[in-house]
Amino acid sequence: MKPATAIAGAAALASLGLPLVLPQYELRVLILALISALAVIGLCIAFGWCGLIQLGQAAFVGVGAYSSAILSREYGFGFAASLLSAGAVTGLLAVLIGVPLLRLRGHYLALATVGFNATAVIVISNAGDLTGGYDGYSGIPLAALFGIVFESDTRFFYLAWVILAMVSLGVVSLRASRFGRALVAIRDDELAAGTSGVPVVRMKVLAYGLCGVCGGLSGALYGHYSHYISPGDFDLVRSITLLVMLIVGGETSVLGAILGSILLSFLPEWLRFLGGGYLAVFGIGVLLVLVLMPTGIVGIVRRVLQRRGAAHG
Amino acid sequence: MLTIQLIINALAVGSIYAVTALSFEIAYESTGVVNFSTGQLVTAGALVGASVTAIGPHLAPVAYLAVIVAMAALGLLFFVGAYLPLRNRPVLTVIIGTVAVGILVQNVSLLIWGPLPIAVASPVGNATIRLAGLVVPTHALFVILVTMVLILAVYFLLYRSPLGTQFRALAQDPETARLIGVPVMRLYALTWMLACALAGIAGLLLAPMWFVDVGLGDSLALKAFAAAIIGGFGSIPGAIIGGIAVGLAEVLGASYISSSYKDAIVFALMILFLLFRPQGLFGERVADRA
Repeated sequence: MKPATAIAGAAALASLGLPLVLPQYELRVLILALISALAVIGLCIAFGWCGLIQLGQAAFVGVGAYSSAILSREYGFGFAASLLSAGAVTGLLAVLIGVPLLRLRGHYLALATVGFNATAVIVISNAGDLTGGYDGYSGIPLAALFGIVFESDTRFFYLAWVILAMVSLGVVSLRASRFGRALVAIRDDELAAGTSGVPVVRMKVLAYGLCGVCGGLSGALYGHYSHYISPGDFDLVRSITLLVMLIVGGETSVLGAILGSILLSFLPEWLRFLGGGYLAVFGIGVLLVLVLMPTGIVGIVRRVLQRRGAAHG
Repeated sequence: MLTIQLIINALAVGSIYAVTALSFEIAYESTGVVNFSTGQLVTAGALVGASVTAIGPHLAPVAYLAVIVAMAALGLLFFVGAYLPLRNRPVLTVIIGTVAVGILVQNVSLLIWGPLPIAVASPVGNATIRLAGLVVPTHALFVILVTMVLILAVYFLLYRSPLGTQFRALAQDPETARLIGVPVMRLYALTWMLACALAGIAGLLLAPMWFVDVGLGDSLALKAFAAAIIGGFGSIPGAIIGGIAVGLAEVLGASYISSSYKDAIVFALMILFLLFRPQGLFGERVADRA
C-alpha cells in the first residue's frame, strides 16, 4: 500500500471518533462538509479527470435536493428510495443536457453551464406549485434506514460518512478502470484519444452523467439533513464554491475533493474573527492558492512524500 | 406608443449591457481571459461614482472622470495581481482566478461602502421628456448617448489609431506581435485598465436607474456574458449588438411573455445560440467551440 493511501485510510477511520470529541456546531459543519464532498467528487470526475468545465454543479445538487424532497414528502418515498431516485434523476438530466452542451469546449462550455445554473435557479424559484418557489421547501422527512432514524447529528454523521466512503471507493476504483483512463486521455489530448479508439463523446457524456449523480446524491442528503431547502442554496456562487473546494484540495484526486470540502467548510469558522473582512481575505486566499499551489493540498503532500521516499530509498 | 416607449427603455438597458459586454470582450480579445469579475467591477464603478455624486449633485459629470481614473488604477492592480501570475495557466484556473478577484473586489467594496443601497443622481437629473405622446426619462436618452460616444471612442482607439493596430496585432498573434516590437506587456496592462474603466462607466450609467448596492453588477455580468455569446464571442460589434438584443429580449419578454421568467428567456436564448450558432451573430476567427 502506498504511504498516502495508508495515511488517508487511517485518517478516515480515526474520523469515526470525531462525533465523540467535536462540539455540536463543529459537527454540523463537518456533516455539511461531507455532504458537499459528494458533489465535489462529481466535479473531480467531470473536470479533474475529463477536463469538462462545470460551473453548474450547484444546479445538479439542487435538482437532487428538490427531487428527493418532493418524492419523500409528497409521494412517501423512503430515505433509500428517495436518495437513489435523486441520484438517478439528476444523472439522467445531466446526460440529457450533456448531449447538446458537451459539444462545446473551454470558455463556451463554462458560460453554457453558468447559463444552465442561472436558468435552473429561476425555474425552481418560479415553479411555486411544485417547489415552493422563493419560500423554499420545508418539512423534508428525517432519514431512516433499516429501522434506524438518523435524528441526531451523531447518527447523521455516520450516515453521511458511510455514503461518502462508498461513493469514494467506487469512484477511486473507476479511476483505475478503462473508463477512468479514457477520461484522462480525453482531457490530455482529445484528438489523440479519439484516434486511439476512445468514444470521446460517449465518455464525456458519461462523465457528466456521473458528475450529475454525485451532485444529486449530495443534494438529496442535504435536504434530508437540513429538512428545508430554498433556491438560494443552489445558485452560481455555490457552484463556484464547490469548484474552489476541488481546486484547493487537488483537482484530480478524490481525496483532494474531500479535503478541499472540509477545509473550505471550516474556513469561514476559523476566520470568523475577521468579521466582514472574511470574504475579502477568502478572495486573496483563493488567488494565492491558484498562484502558489496549482496542484492543491494533495499535490503538495504527494511531493513531500515523494521527496521523503527518494531520500530514504 | 407603449411599445415604442418599451423599446427606448430596452435600448437604454441594452446599452448598459453593451458597454459591460464591451469591457468583457476587449479583455478577452487581447488577453484571452474570460473575466468573471466583470460584474463586481461594474459595481465598484457605480460605488465610486456614488461617492463623488454624494458630495454635491453638480459633481455628477465629474463622477464619470473619477470613475475612469479609479477603475483604470484598479485595472492596473488586476493586471499585476491576477493576470501576470496566472496568465499561462489552464482556462479554468484563470476563470476561477477572476472569480476570486470578483469576490475580493465585492467584499472590499462592502467594507468601504457598507451593505445599504445608495441612490445616485443622474447628471441630467430625473426628469422625463414628453415627445409626441411618449414619456421618456432623460436619463435613458443620456445612457444611449454616452454609449454611442463610448462605442465611437473604442472604434477610433482600435481601428483608427496606431495603438489600435498594435492591439489588433496582439489579439491575432501575441508571439509575432512581440517579435515585431509591439510592447506586449504594456498593452496587456492598458487592456485591463480599459476593460475596468468601461465596466465602471457601465455601473455609473446603471446607478441612477437602480439603487446601488454591492450586488448591483452580479446579474448584470450574466446578461453581458449572454450578450457576448449572442453577438459573437470575440467580436466587438457583436458585443454591442448582443447587448442591445439582450435588452430587447428582456424588456419585451417581460411585457409580452412572463416577467418572472425574463432572465430565463435571456439565458435560454444564450444556450440556443451556443448550440446552434456558437459563432453568434458576428462570428469569431478562431474558436474552441463545437
